[in-house]
Amino acid sequence: MKKIFLMTALGLTFAFAGNVAPVNNALYQKECASCHFGYQPALLSKTSWEKVMGNLSDHFGTDASLGKAEHDQILAYLVSNAGSGKIAANNNSMRITESPKFIKEHREVPARLITQKEVGSLSNCSACHILADQGNYSERAIKIPNYGRWE
Amino acid sequence: MKKIVYLIVLSLSLLNAKAFNAPMQIYMNELSAEAKAQNPNFTGFDATRGEKLFVSKHTGKKGSEMSCTSCHTNNLKNSGQNVNTNKPITALAPSANPTRLTDVAEVQKWLRRNFNDVFVREGTALEKGDVLTYIINQ
Repeated sequence: MKKIFLMTALGLTFAFAGNVAPVNNALYQKECASCHFGYQPALLSKTSWEKVMGNLSDHFGTDASLGKAEHDQILAYLVSNAGSGKIAANNNSMRITESPKFIKEHREVPARLITQKEVGSLSNCSACHILADQGNYSERAIKIPNYGRWE
Repeated sequence: MKKIVYLIVLSLSLLNAKAFNAPMQIYMNELSAEAKAQNPNFTGFDATRGEKLFVSKHTGKKGSEMSCTSCHTNNLKNSGQNVNTNKPITALAPSANPTRLTDVAEVQKWLRRNFNDVFVREGTALEKGDVLTYIINQ
């Protein structure tokens, strides 16, 4: 019993310590992660994902349009796995980088480490979060190019 | 014996390196018919015209100068990089990446998206056919 309690507590800690469920949808991975990092659905709210999927032909300035079948399947996946945790809270914009929690977590990162060519922008999660693909954004799993560990 | 079979398969696939697979050939024929309908003087697709199109520079959808080479580079046997996100792009040349130009739906999707991003319009049948002819010969 104690064990279960401990595990639950540990699980909760992880949920708030930068862990989200990894992407588990092959179509989403194929269609979205061919151009950019495969952001986990929990990083944005349902409203945000609906906005993103509502205008894919002008997706942050590029044409990312899909066929209707692919569009509907991906929308369903994103909406049913959308974020309800701190990272998605108070952000109904299309940008993960506009989440108050996201901004707070990245406020101390010097601009030069973000603009350097190995990173490019804050939307390139996996450049520094070495386990980002697994949904692990914990501080222990950060290694910034030309800087090193962030602890 | 197994080795010989492998060698035959390999040499056959090398011989066919510059040919479209059956579904892609059907799509090329459709583009060809469309190009002919738009211009009765159309005699066939041309890799040289396709290359010119591929390297030509335009004010893209984002308002900055763009070309197909912005992401795919000038050498299609090399991998490229998405100019917006820094994500690597596998080589476009079928000789370096045999999965390229094999799936009609994928080809149509990327032609639609990439023409819009670079030329801010859809490609014509002639342009699509020329570019695909250029790519398959790489």
